[in-house]
Amino acid sequence: MTTFAQAILSGTAQGAIYALLALGFVIIYKATHVISFAQPALMVCGGLFSYHFSAVLGWPFWPSLFIAILLGAALGMVIERLALRPMVGKPVFTLAIITIGVDVVLRVLANRYIGADSRALRYPGGGERYELLGLALSHRQVTIIAVTVITVVSLALFFRYAKAGLAVRATALDQETALAQGVRVGAMFALAWAIAGGLAAIAGTFIATGSGGIEQDTWIIALKALPAIIIGGLDSLQGAVIGGLLVGIVEQVTAVYQAAYLPFLGANFSLVAPYALMLLVLLIRPYGLFGTKEVERV
Amino acid sequence: MTMRHRGMLPRTMAGAAIAALVLTGCRGGGGDDAEGSGPGVSSDPCPEAVNEDNGCITLGIISDLSDTFSAVAVPLTEAQEAFWDRVNENGGVGGYDVQLVISDAEYDPQLTSQRYQEMRTDILALGQALGSSQVMAILEDMRDDNVIAAPASWNSAWNFEPLIVQSGANYCFEAMNGVDWAMENRGEIESVLAIGYPTDFGEDAAVGAAAAAEANGLDYAQITTPPGQDNQAEAVSRVVQEDPDLLVITAGPTETATIVAGAASEGWEGTAVGSSPTWNPGLLQSEAAGALEAMYFQASAWGNWSSDTPGHEAMREALGDVSPSDGYVAGWVWSYPMLAALEHAAELDGGITRENLVAAAENLEEVDYEDMLPAEAGTKVGDPNETAYRASVINSVDAESPGGTVMEQDLTVGPTAEGYSLDAPCAALD
Repeated sequence: MTTFAQAILSGTAQGAIYALLALGFVIIYKATHVISFAQPALMVCGGLFSYHFSAVLGWPFWPSLFIAILLGAALGMVIERLALRPMVGKPVFTLAIITIGVDVVLRVLANRYIGADSRALRYPGGGERYELLGLALSHRQVTIIAVTVITVVSLALFFRYAKAGLAVRATALDQETALAQGVRVGAMFALAWAIAGGLAAIAGTFIATGSGGIEQDTWIIALKALPAIIIGGLDSLQGAVIGGLLVGIVEQVTAVYQAAYLPFLGANFSLVAPYALMLLVLLIRPYGLFGTKEVERV
Repeated sequence: MTMRHRGMLPRTMAGAAIAALVLTGCRGGGGDDAEGSGPGVSSDPCPEAVNEDNGCITLGIISDLSDTFSAVAVPLTEAQEAFWDRVNENGGVGGYDVQLVISDAEYDPQLTSQRYQEMRTDILALGQALGSSQVMAILEDMRDDNVIAAPASWNSAWNFEPLIVQSGANYCFEAMNGVDWAMENRGEIESVLAIGYPTDFGEDAAVGAAAAAEANGLDYAQITTPPGQDNQAEAVSRVVQEDPDLLVITAGPTETATIVAGAASEGWEGTAVGSSPTWNPGLLQSEAAGALEAMYFQASAWGNWSSDTPGHEAMREALGDVSPSDGYVAGWVWSYPMLAALEHAAELDGGITRENLVAAAENLEEVDYEDMLPAEAGTKVGDPNETAYRASVINSVDAESPGGTVMEQDLTVGPTAEGYSLDAPCAALD
């Protein structure tokens, strides 16, 4: 039982990072109906911003993270303004392809900064561990979970009570109606990209504090958010969070138990497990656990 | 338009033929000693020749400059550039300067093959071919072309391959030496878990770890793990569940750090010995630094950056002010057998050609490594079981040391490697 609880706990910490990334995907999708494939690059850039301020310039960790969030948000807005806004009205498929191009360009630039080495960011909590009822969690894992909870609650409050948050939701519901009500739809697109950039920066920063830091192929981690958003539902913020956590937990639980109980599935099945779960969810609920079922007039 | 074009073709061909004749006639006029010919060998000076009177030899480099092993491969390649620059500054080899053609195959066998096709008519030999599966992807073509290669891997199969000029103990012996060292120096050890990439690289070391476990009467288990720091949950979980006294790791630095630190954070308290490519000084800035300093040791083919030998000294001087890395040392050491083969080929009838270079490599009796390795470590003459070099160095992590490691034990052959009969590669390459 302790082993199972430990797997859930460790998976939650990893899943919290996936949840932050998944939230970015979903916020952009809800506001603009575009799936942004630039999130991996935004995550890497955000992590590098923190690395630069903290490891290179010697700033404390938390101010570095704060600046990285602002820079990540600014980068998201610049991408939206320069690459996406001029294409408003074009098929969403075209816009999605543009985000792939943006991702490649940003990653090439980021790779020049990364170079051959790994860019590891020393976490201020060091290797400190907490133990309770036989369960162990590092200071870093506790912080990741806490930061994710604070971020998700803040976003929920923002979208529920803040004027700008309500405007983003109105834009997500119906762009033309929102425009007719005086909402600056373009600004809401930019705001959605800014939030996604900030979330990616948080995720990138915590990845940079991990064992391997940020390397040229670290961007692949962001792709784990894709099964998360499909599982949770493409247009659901709570779905993104739950989907992200589920991916982390399923990965971890499979890693712990599969070799002993389902060895015929082969080595490292835990990497495939989130996609197996995604297929299962799609068979039962094609729009994801919390996604909106599309109603089409025929 | 078409007619004119047709008319021009024979004239163009004739012009090219005349130019080729003229160039052929000029051959040999460049270097005083240069008498070789063929792909990758020219009597014209290199574009950036140090010695204008020398001809030019072109060596290919197929490396991993942007993927799994880039942290090691980039300095490795830089060291090889510095090595051949030093050779050129010392007058070249056999009347030739050496230039490198560098390409990035991203640790991908298919891309390695593609890169080889791009350069196969332009090179004399491969100054670096990184990876085991990657070399296998081009080995048949190399045989067809009579091209030898300095590997950037330590696979035991290279001890059986005439075209590969190997240096240092292979992964298999390295793992044996790591286990034997841990038996003597890390307290009571009763169980070993080998974790490696599901590739020839991981398999070769796993065979060595299994042999050492058997020789020492230890419980042995083996698992594979894929690349990627986010993909190590299963490996960490297996370490925690099986709680081995000793881990033998054959993966990249990031994976190694993630496994050791992840398992340590869940209470594992054993020892980890990694093969040469498992270390990267950048890890000292990571969350894993504490666990690595306490629990990780590197089995290596030769002394690290700070070692006190004439070869290390020459390397440090040639590279100047760089951030120390094992990659530099590896690139430098791996170049010595190629230099020895070129020097030997230059003395054969016909001078430096692909065919003579193959003959020279097959008959290398010793290599002057400037004491970075003993001269006999480079021999290719004789039965692999007799000639294979078996000694490894053991390093521990030290944040204060250049390159992040200090030597715990100098080149030593452990009892398992000493008694192991290398009648075939430890892990057969397909």
